Amino acid sequence: MTLLNAQRISMQFGGLIALRDVDMRQVAGETLGMIGPNGSGKTTFVNVITGHLTPQRGEVHFDDISLLGRKPFQIAAAGLTRTYQAVRVFSELTVQENIATALVDAARPLDSDGVAETTEWLELRHRLDARAGSLTLYEQRRLEVLMRLVQRPKLLMLDEPVGGLSSTEVRATIDLLSELKARCTLFVIEHTMKVIRELADRVVVLLAGEKIADGPPAEVLADQRVVEKYLGSADA
Amino acid sequence: MTGLMRRWLAHAIFALAAFATPLLLSGNRYFAFIAGITFFSVLWATGMNLLYGYTGLMPLMFGGIAGISAYVTIGLSANGWSFWLAMLVGSVAASLVGIVLGLPALRLRGFYFTLCSLVIQTVITLAFVYFVNLTNGDVGISHIPLPELPGGRQLAGTAYELVLATIAVIGVVVLTVIVESSFGRRLTAIREDDGLAETLGINVTRQKLAAFFVASLFASVGGALYAPYVGFISPRSFDVLLSLNIWVMVAFGGRGTIWGPVIGAVILAPVPFVLQDYYTIKDVVYGLLIIGVVVLLPGGIVGGVKRKGRADAPAAVAKQAAPVR
Ligand SMILES: Nc1ncnc2c1ncn2[C@@H]1O[C@H](COP(=O)(O)OP(=O)(O)OP(=O)(O)O)[C@@H](O)[C@H]1O
Ligand SMILES: [Mg+2]
Repeated sequence: MTLLNAQRISMQFGGLIALRDVDMRQVAGETLGMIGPNGSGKTTFVNVITGHLTPQRGEVHFDDISLLGRKPFQIAAAGLTRTYQAVRVFSELTVQENIATALVDAARPLDSDGVAETTEWLELRHRLDARAGSLTLYEQRRLEVLMRLVQRPKLLMLDEPVGGLSSTEVRATIDLLSELKARCTLFVIEHTMKVIRELADRVVVLLAGEKIADGPPAEVLADQRVVEKYLGSADA
Repeated sequence: MTGLMRRWLAHAIFALAAFATPLLLSGNRYFAFIAGITFFSVLWATGMNLLYGYTGLMPLMFGGIAGISAYVTIGLSANGWSFWLAMLVGSVAASLVGIVLGLPALRLRGFYFTLCSLVIQTVITLAFVYFVNLTNGDVGISHIPLPELPGGRQLAGTAYELVLATIAVIGVVVLTVIVESSFGRRLTAIREDDGLAETLGINVTRQKLAAFFVASLFASVGGALYAPYVGFISPRSFDVLLSLNIWVMVAFGGRGTIWGPVIGAVILAPVPFVLQDYYTIKDVVYGLLIIGVVVLLPGGIVGGVKRKGRADAPAAVAKQAAPVR
């Protein structure tokens, strides 16, 4: 069943074309990876899908409802949510308060047992009373995910979930995310190829706002064009 | 039961002090009047705290909204309405205006909204001056009759101060209830990061406008009761200085805490009376106070919400340091 269907998305900032006729389909349960050089439009794509930006052209359907023109809070209620490339939590509030804030307008909130269990799973229980801004980056990344999971999203878009993490933390995050697949569908933007290789069922490559490849990781990552344009410079 | 008692203990003490003060001061009209003005300040500081302390918006048109309510209320009373009905209509009307004046907050944040609210306040003041047939312009309206009570008596003296004490106590209780409700949680989220709040499903537009409505109710109930209490109002009664006065009380006491702004109001509201004899230096003292608050007490004396941009967020540092891939 198609969960996300984006068609001919074009997004322009003044004279700069950030996305050009991008098509993207994602089936429920399928983990989709997105890669591409800096400035190729990956974050812009997430911003368009989640209602943070309005594209000049294109259509977005999620769960068979049209998303264009809807605001981020409505899209969240429909079960589509995202994290940010630069970690973003309510840093002056405690972890507990951050979680409570994520629950306050959740359309399908987890019950309190579920919240406790998920908090335990993400190893944040001992940090509940800490100010979120005082957490380590890795803890903040987990808190971000926790705040999405308590809303039981159908699709979670992660914008560089391991950005800035150490290699041990990257390893642990990959393990967490692969367990996470059982709870919701994942869309993952990453520069770290290991994450894509281990998690993605399918991978999409953006280059200067255009989709230049789309297929299973093994195939795409071996594609000559992708290697030339991108992987040559990445940590493949 | 003990939990409930402890929960409201501070409120009970405050209520007791608030009701005792007018009774203790009833022998001295001058001191009782200072207490009355302090009650207005508590109510207004508490209302502004909802916006400035909990929602992160500094509304410099707060005084103007109080003024709209005052003018509507006494205008309707002068046309034969009961004061209390006029006050109800005036307060709700001014609060609806407050929602409209809050609309720029949907686009502007922080300093830019504050600037915009300053412009709005100026326009309101000019409107008070301009619509002479409604406001009597710069001359102001004097001999405002006291509110009538059932049985033909008038609300005056100590009874008036007890009503003001009641309103101040109710204001603090209402803010407390709001802050602990999901409405309060949404507002705090908006103050901290409205983009993230929206991503988490919070209808930021609606919550901000609701905050403007409620805060404006504090402003306008105060404005309506202020006019007959003082007996005279003019456009200057509700100019930007009133907004700034209240802001200083909130910031000085500690924004984003229940008691900070109350304490700020109790300490600062009597100051102009104390400094009355030193009229020339009053504004200097006042200016120094503002600078002192901003520089020395970013969190206020109770230690409320501090200004952003502290370098203690490890994530921000790590992000800078992290290689892009
Ligand atoms: N709000 C905006 N206004 C103007 N230009 C923007 C805006 N957002 C993105 N851009 C531009 O659009 C292009 C694509 O940016 P985007 O952030 O989507 O890239 P990205 O693929 O996520 O890159 P990175 O890997 O560095 O995160 C860049 O040239 C960027 O400068
Ligand atoms: Mg990006």
